[in-house]
Amino acid sequence: MFEIKSLKSKVVLQIILLILTIPYVIPLVQMFLGSIGGTGFLNYKAVWDTGVVPIYFKNSFIISASVILLVYIFSMTAGFAFAKLHIFGKEMFFWVFLVALTLPEVILLSPLFVTFQKMQLFNTFLAVILPIAALQLPFTILLARTFDNGIPNELMEAAKIDGASVFRTFWDIILPLTKPIASSIVVLTLIGSWNEYLLPLVFLQSPNMKTVTLLPQYFQGEFSNDQTKILAAAVLTAIPVIVVYLFLQKNFEKGMSAGALK
Amino acid sequence: MKNKTKNKTSRFTKINGLLWILPAFVFVVGIIYYSIFYTFNLSTLNWNGLDPIPIKVGISNYTKALFSDWIFWKAIKNTIVYFLITFLIQNFLGFIFAAILHTKVKLATLHKVLIFIPTILAPATMAPVFRLLFSPQGMLQNIFNTLHLGITVDWLANPNSALFILMIVAIWEFTGMSFILYYAAMSQIDKEMLEAAHLDGAGNFRTLLSIVLPNCKGTTVSLAMLGIIGALKTFDIPYLITTGGPYHATEFLGTYIYTQGIKQAHLGYAAAISVMLLILAICGAILINRVNKGDAK
Repeated sequence: MFEIKSLKSKVVLQIILLILTIPYVIPLVQMFLGSIGGTGFLNYKAVWDTGVVPIYFKNSFIISASVILLVYIFSMTAGFAFAKLHIFGKEMFFWVFLVALTLPEVILLSPLFVTFQKMQLFNTFLAVILPIAALQLPFTILLARTFDNGIPNELMEAAKIDGASVFRTFWDIILPLTKPIASSIVVLTLIGSWNEYLLPLVFLQSPNMKTVTLLPQYFQGEFSNDQTKILAAAVLTAIPVIVVYLFLQKNFEKGMSAGALK
Repeated sequence: MKNKTKNKTSRFTKINGLLWILPAFVFVVGIIYYSIFYTFNLSTLNWNGLDPIPIKVGISNYTKALFSDWIFWKAIKNTIVYFLITFLIQNFLGFIFAAILHTKVKLATLHKVLIFIPTILAPATMAPVFRLLFSPQGMLQNIFNTLHLGITVDWLANPNSALFILMIVAIWEFTGMSFILYYAAMSQIDKEMLEAAHLDGAGNFRTLLSIVLPNCKGTTVSLAMLGIIGALKTFDIPYLITTGGPYHATEFLGTYIYTQGIKQAHLGYAAAISVMLLILAICGAILINRVNKGDAK
């Protein structure tokens, strides 16, 4: 976009970029160096031998997958209806979702703490899955609706003439056309649910039900503040996330920027 | 957010869509609105969550927070300072990165990935790293020692600097977000407009200021909105790195609500602060929306 002509300015720019990027790498370097302090790579073995790492990963996986499934289904159907179907009081319903968009999750803690205990949901995955999904939905519905608005009605009319039901139209026409926004929604929800800390902290109490974000704290107890092992655990938690990101780089970047569509 | 595209009358718009939004609606109302109303109710009580009969105290939880709780005001002040500074620096850096990476620099993808990785890593995963990095046992201290600078890295323990360290962490984490949004916005700027500016003799720097920046206004507004709501929601970073300390120097509304409500079981008081937090978040969103629409005219 910007033409930089002279070799000198090209070199200068490259150096500025390098200098600006270094601070972003320092914490990652610190994480790795810290994790091999003391007993070196044996830290990783010690962390792995506790056996909790795969369990926490499995728990995070179950939670994220369930949240993604719920959010995907509900935002696809609601986005379609808001964009293309008739709803009495549509704007009012939409505002209900928009207000929820601004809700800080910490507000949910006390009410859900009391309610989940009454409903015997406390210390179950559902106690985490339901609120995370509810917190993600307003935004993903907004994204889906904005995208669906851009789908020409003619496409749906054609299907209608062919006698397709609303459901068939949704299934055969809307779902395939909305793949780009669906992948953004999946990525956003994945990051949101995988990185969620507060809700698992409060609602998941048994040691075998915790999530990857609670690993550092577990090891703080387990290794009585041996920083090197805590950092080895952090590296083990970060690697899969980084690998998934590298494989789906474009989807991640598109997903994260999807929200900025005015 | 507005329903700009008025659909032509379509037979589909006559089909009742209520059933299609019902699951999502029930979900959001059942959890989020339920919690909001529950919180309103809790905020008028003095209750520890166990007593069979909570004491009704009216609005005294609110008056207590507003008129006699310096920690509450400290949290508000921290949120404002945190928002203003992180917003400015993070978006400045994101904008510069986006502009540089739009020129033909070498290793562009590598730089992009390195700036973006912090955005996808959980603050909970990175918190121990930052606690070490900004401690006398960390890498920075080693570097300072090698250079014989005579600086002691105890910034997290110092009430005067702890908040700034948390801002550095937040900027580290969210620059990738600003960068990716500005990068996308810059790709959509009309090439001819840029060429015209060049032909008029405008240098790269001038073009950046008077053409690129104004064209990214929508993005800046979106980032301001995300920033305000994000600052009000701040929890993970201060809770995990400093637990709001030392001496509440890094207290935020989120951490304060957590300590009051969950740790100390002052459910009513935590709920009153939650209600005020919610009002602030909604006001923030409306305000930014207004500014945006007002400018568009």
